[in-house]
Amino acid sequence: MTADEAATTIFNGLKAAGINLIATLPDINLAQLLREVEEDHDVIHVPLCREEEGMGICAGAYLVGKKCAAIMQNGGFFNSHNAIVTTLLQHEIPLLLLIYYAGDMGDRTFSTSGSMTEPLLRALGIRYYVMRDPGEAPELIKRAQVLAQDSRRPVALLLTKEGLGLRVPLKAQ
Amino acid sequence: MKRFDCLKIIAAEAPDALVVTSAGATTLEWHALRPSDGNFRVRTLGLCSSIALGMALGLPQRKVIALDGDGSLLMNLCSLPTIARMHPKNLLHVVFDNEVYEASGHKKTATAAGADLVAIARAAGISRARWANSVEAFAQAVTAALSSNDLSFIGAKVTTERTEVPPYPIDEVENKYRFIRHVEKTEQIEIIKTGLPASYS
Repeated sequence: MTADEAATTIFNGLKAAGINLIATLPDINLAQLLREVEEDHDVIHVPLCREEEGMGICAGAYLVGKKCAAIMQNGGFFNSHNAIVTTLLQHEIPLLLLIYYAGDMGDRTFSTSGSMTEPLLRALGIRYYVMRDPGEAPELIKRAQVLAQDSRRPVALLLTKEGLGLRVPLKAQ
Repeated sequence: MKRFDCLKIIAAEAPDALVVTSAGATTLEWHALRPSDGNFRVRTLGLCSSIALGMALGLPQRKVIALDGDGSLLMNLCSLPTIARMHPKNLLHVVFDNEVYEASGHKKTATAAGADLVAIARAAGISRARWANSVEAFAQAVTAALSSNDLSFIGAKVTTERTEVPPYPIDEVENKYRFIRHVEKTEQIEIIKTGLPASYS
């Protein structure tokens, strides 16, 4: 799957799961996916200045009936911790987090961010799945959304380069 | 100017608005003046404006009011350009600026050293932003903001004087459910449907 095809598959998966408000902050590896969000006219797109405000925006939208997702790099997830703890977790508000896994194995930069991403998700009690095949995205997003709504907590999908169609999956090599 | 007197004006002018209050005494004073399940108390310093933005975007036909503080807004200044960019016409953002972190021991905030939150809001792209320096001016600003049907920002310099009011009666989770049920009832929509089956699957 190419990056464009992966982006379309992931975005259509979000829409099929009922997501109708998406807060984003760019990473170069999310460019194709964010283009899908920008070009759609049904989903409310909120471009952020800092990811932490996105946790608040999504919480507020949830309280009035929206189904929200936030797309960011793992650095943005780090930026959002106080909001995740004292707004999402404390009020029991679900949110689908799509986090680009910078510093994944094989990446040249952000190895420190990569090493801290899963431990911090675990420390916050956030259930997560590392997505390495974009073909899995629609079903995975649907299940993650069920878990978020059912547990009333944030749930994370870690987007890797192969999950975004930017690198050949291992099993295809 | 006392914050409590400003809050009385808002309670009279916007009895049905959804209201988000910043962590601290504003929440308690507001709740005493307008007890309602349409009140949401924020626990994350800074997120008042962002949570209100999310509500305003999600329910564009409903008036949403953020009752923010200077310490809170200073922590999340980037919410201002985001609010300006999304430009929700149903949002009124009020900032009570007493120049201290009132709930955290009265240490001075940056507004005590001259940071001008209204000028910052305007520079961020919120053109309908103004200071109100007396109770009369505040009442006028609130009336103008509510009748404009446009995104508005009001800064109010207030004293650190607190009004004796009872504590907030509910915790965060109860606040969430009550708020959601209030929106469901007043907007005739369904937000949380548990729909649990008789046996799990």
